[in-house]
Amino acid sequence: MNLPVAQLWLIPALPLLAAGIGALTPRGGRRLAATVAIGALALSFLLSVGALITALADPAAHLVHNFDWFELGSGTLRLGWVLDPLTAFMAVMVTFVGLLIFIFSTGYLRADANFTRFFCFLSLFAAAMLGLVIANSLLLLFICWELVGLASYLLIGFWFHKPAAAAAAKKAFITTRIGDLGLLLGMVWLYDSTGSLLFFDGGAGVLEPAALDALAAQATIGGLAISTAIGLLIFCGAVGKSGQFPLHVWLPDAMEGPTPVSALIHAATMVAAGVFLVARVYPLMIADQPLAHVPVHALTVVAAVGAVTALLGAVIAIGQYDIKRILAFSTVSQLGYMMLALGVGSWVAAIFHLLTHAFFKALLFLAAGSVIDAAHHEQDLRHLGGLRGPMRITFATFAIGTMALAGVPFLFSGFWSKEGILHAAHGWDVSPLPLYAGLVAVVLTAFYMTRLVAEVFHGTARGEGAAHAKESPPTMTIPLLILAGCAIALGFLGTPAWPWLQARLEGRTEIHGHSLLEGGGLMALSILLVALGIGAGWALYGRRTRTRAAAVDPLAARIPRIFSALTDRLWFDELYAATVGRLSDGTARLADLLDRHVWDGTIRFLSGLGLFAGFVNRDADEDVLNGGFDAGSAGLRRGGQAYSRRQTGDAHGYLRVVAISFVVLVMVIMLGGGQ
Amino acid sequence: MTLSFPQLLHALLPEASLVLGALIVLAVDLTIGRTQSPVRRIRAAATLGLLAVTMAAWHAINAGAEGSVFGGVLVLDSLTMATRTGVLLLSGLTLALLPGVLRLPHPAEYVATILFATTGFTLMAAAQQLLVAFAALELASLSLYVLAGFDKTRRESAEAALKYFLFGGIAAAFLLFGFSLLYGLTGSIDFMVIAEQLQVQRATPLLVVALVMVLVAFGFKAAAAPFHLWAPDAYQGAPPSSAALIASASKLAGFVLFLRLFWHGLGPAAGSVSTFQGAPGWLPAVAILAGASMLLGNLAALAQWNVRRLLAYSAIAHAGSLLLGVMAARVSGPGPLFYYAATYGLATVGAFGVIAVVDAAGGCHKISDLAGLQRRSPLLAGCLLFFILSLAGIPPLAGFFGKFAVFAAALRINGLAGPLGWLAILAILLSAVALYYYLVILKQALVTPAEPAQTRRIAVPRAAGVTLVLIALFLLLTGLFPSLILRLFRS
Repeated sequence: MNLPVAQLWLIPALPLLAAGIGALTPRGGRRLAATVAIGALALSFLLSVGALITALADPAAHLVHNFDWFELGSGTLRLGWVLDPLTAFMAVMVTFVGLLIFIFSTGYLRADANFTRFFCFLSLFAAAMLGLVIANSLLLLFICWELVGLASYLLIGFWFHKPAAAAAAKKAFITTRIGDLGLLLGMVWLYDSTGSLLFFDGGAGVLEPAALDALAAQATIGGLAISTAIGLLIFCGAVGKSGQFPLHVWLPDAMEGPTPVSALIHAATMVAAGVFLVARVYPLMIADQPLAHVPVHALTVVAAVGAVTALLGAVIAIGQYDIKRILAFSTVSQLGYMMLALGVGSWVAAIFHLLTHAFFKALLFLAAGSVIDAAHHEQDLRHLGGLRGPMRITFATFAIGTMALAGVPFLFSGFWSKEGILHAAHGWDVSPLPLYAGLVAVVLTAFYMTRLVAEVFHGTARGEGAAHAKESPPTMTIPLLILAGCAIALGFLGTPAWPWLQARLEGRTEIHGHSLLEGGGLMALSILLVALGIGAGWALYGRRTRTRAAAVDPLAARIPRIFSALTDRLWFDELYAATVGRLSDGTARLADLLDRHVWDGTIRFLSGLGLFAGFVNRDADEDVLNGGFDAGSAGLRRGGQAYSRRQTGDAHGYLRVVAISFVVLVMVIMLGGGQ
Repeated sequence: MTLSFPQLLHALLPEASLVLGALIVLAVDLTIGRTQSPVRRIRAAATLGLLAVTMAAWHAINAGAEGSVFGGVLVLDSLTMATRTGVLLLSGLTLALLPGVLRLPHPAEYVATILFATTGFTLMAAAQQLLVAFAALELASLSLYVLAGFDKTRRESAEAALKYFLFGGIAAAFLLFGFSLLYGLTGSIDFMVIAEQLQVQRATPLLVVALVMVLVAFGFKAAAAPFHLWAPDAYQGAPPSSAALIASASKLAGFVLFLRLFWHGLGPAAGSVSTFQGAPGWLPAVAILAGASMLLGNLAALAQWNVRRLLAYSAIAHAGSLLLGVMAARVSGPGPLFYYAATYGLATVGAFGVIAVVDAAGGCHKISDLAGLQRRSPLLAGCLLFFILSLAGIPPLAGFFGKFAVFAAALRINGLAGPLGWLAILAILLSAVALYYYLVILKQALVTPAEPAQTRRIAVPRAAGVTLVLIALFLLLTGLFPSLILRLFRS
């Protein structure tokens, strides 16, 4: 079974249809809404597999289907979709993980009154994300990008009656919009420079050599090549969407949404869109690499941002108490890893990590959701504990996810994909700093995940919710088991010995495996670091578990000042509130003043003028004209004509207007024609 | 000149299907229908009418684009094909909205008259000769007068028909006089020959008089100010389905006919499209009509409280924009004009369809009669949202791209340096004004609660419901992918 590229649009269209049906379903139609959403996504999954088979038949090709959208002045705006291994792998991942999360949601939200609306939003999100993945035009990608942002806003604020959720939804939307402004500017600049926004168009696309050479050849402000400037602007969009430093602040707050949303959007798919975007426009990002004279290469910036984010996320995660926030900061950190891989020149390593991360992070979030649901919405790890016994499946799958994330060697997928990134960083000849950042983050990741597992699952229950926790229903545990299987199995598609996935992504059909001992030193070092992190975590939190909810954190007892800084997330939110927030408040106040006293008056004046003209017009039409002709035809009326009073008056008046207009028009042409 | 009758028959198959269909509708109703209930009679008549329209559309698409037919009497090109299909679609939708909504005696005659009017429209789309054009126009107009006055039990309907008829009669007289002057000046009734003759003649006062006479008739047909005066009364008094047809298919066919007549036949007498300087021509007069229609239509609509009169004034405003499309057609081709007229027609048929359904359920005259529609019938309110937003030109609905295409075409000619550019800017500004009165309708339908006397739910007839949803989807589809229509005209 394979899917021709012309039919690729069906993949996003099916969830979109499901969203439409969901929107029209009344509240009572819970079963219908869930069935339609899950059925549509399952079909999309099958189609994605078909697309993958098509793409793998010739992995080097970018199959495209472009069409005219509309004419714009003398030019034509064209949209289209592209099928290559990158698109196909992403589509399969999104539909598969999405499907499991949809199924999980039927259990997680079983008691929510707005169940149907939730599935409508989920389907809308899936449609937008899949549209983003298949887009062959930066414009189409941008449209879907914004739709993804909208769906994310709706879902974070799904429990909008909670003020925190409403605020988090706004924060996520506004913060990512700051990055999107850069993306929009980059897009406009790109269109201005090349006259096209199609990625691949038989030689005329923006990612094809002709356009890239032209973009790299021209210089702009500061000696940057145009391709560098556009690449960096597009990267701004990725920074916002993928929660990179310094726009990472929205992602932890986004955890106010229901947990399946966190799993689908803020771990597995949407936040990966930024990484995907950079990978998609990778030819543009590397176009400036051969140039020696430019002050900075686009990818160097990407690597730096990625390294800082990887380290920052991991450090802050150590000081958090909320399960979902720990996972959120770990997501920030892992996304930093992916950006780092992109920056050091290995986009396949980034995509491999994106795919494995999607599975094990979705697993971790869903397992956390299972815990939260069982413990009556308690998600502070100080009030949990001892859940290993009552929740065996959840514990086992969470442990598998933890080991994959921490990079426990050989069996778990996270190990292989993280190794790929570290190797790529090792081979980067610009600076060794990203490698060091990555290695430090390895220790920290292992440490905070060990802390999380020890606090939540070991020891004794420290709260009402945890004491009465029971294992979740099968609709929730079965997706966990499937994801756990994937978190293990997926790694073997991309080991250095048999890098099948990497070869296909790069468009090669033959696979060059090499011995695991090549570069074994680095691997041994990272295994050692993982062991160090787990050991330290176990020594602090596992050997003597927390007994009371109010007990001081062992690490906080040793380094109280640093720990409280981490708990406060290094005051990024406060910093932004004091600077950007102030500035925006001030501007808003100024705009308000202008609005009230200057613009409002103008508008009122204009609207008054308009209304006045409208009334004059109507009165002229209906009273003056009619009235005048009524008087004029009074004699006729007295003569007892058969027509009623208003009819004759109106019609005569109307016809007289025709005659007058005719004369005026003739005069206009004769006199005004410039003879 | 070879006259091939088989070729003529082939070209006129759509019209033949329509006439035949009308006769069958009448015959069936007179024989079998007599004993049936009114509901079944209207359903049968509408179904047969729809069949005839479908046949005609099939023939219209199959007629091909072979150029002039029968010695230049008719022309078959992409514009003919698109316009015929367009008017047939609009008439078909009007017919599909009838069952369960039309509450008039003699439904079969109503349907047959619609089919006769449609015959006139399709013939207008293909006419390339003064006499055929006049005959087609009159066939359409006379049918429409009848349709406007069909509700014989209501005084308003009779008044609407009489006013429409009087006005139309005068317009027809102007048109015929103008045509005879043109014939006298050029010695031909063929558009192409007239154009050739006008190339060599210099402008005389007589020609100017002839041009303006034709223009008056055009203004009447298009409801352009100051020849719009019949429109508010006719829209208000006529049965809603008749008003829908007058506002949609009739406008589309009228604009296409006059596009052909003015550019293909009277093109040499246009004057300069970019500056309006040089020899006197009809362009300045059309520009006056366009500006006056936009100003008057939009401003007068602000003060209306009757929803049908409001739609009438909005139709006058849209006519102004369409005239802009006519003027810009020399450079941009008929694509933008056709797209605007067709999608405007769709939205109007939809809006009048909603009004007709509400009307059948207890009257719909004032805007406030729509209050609480969202509770009384969510389907109608949802569809109305699509139609009104499309009329207002909100993306991604088709109305936005219609406006966009026409304004872009106008601005392409000479930017802001010429009168066309100023008119385009005026139109854009007035679109903001228009948004106000469109939102007033939507506010009543979606926000304001119903008056206590009118809280009963509206039972939407199935055929009408399906048709309205179809129109809404069609507006969305053509709005998302305007090139579906626009590429028909790409040379």
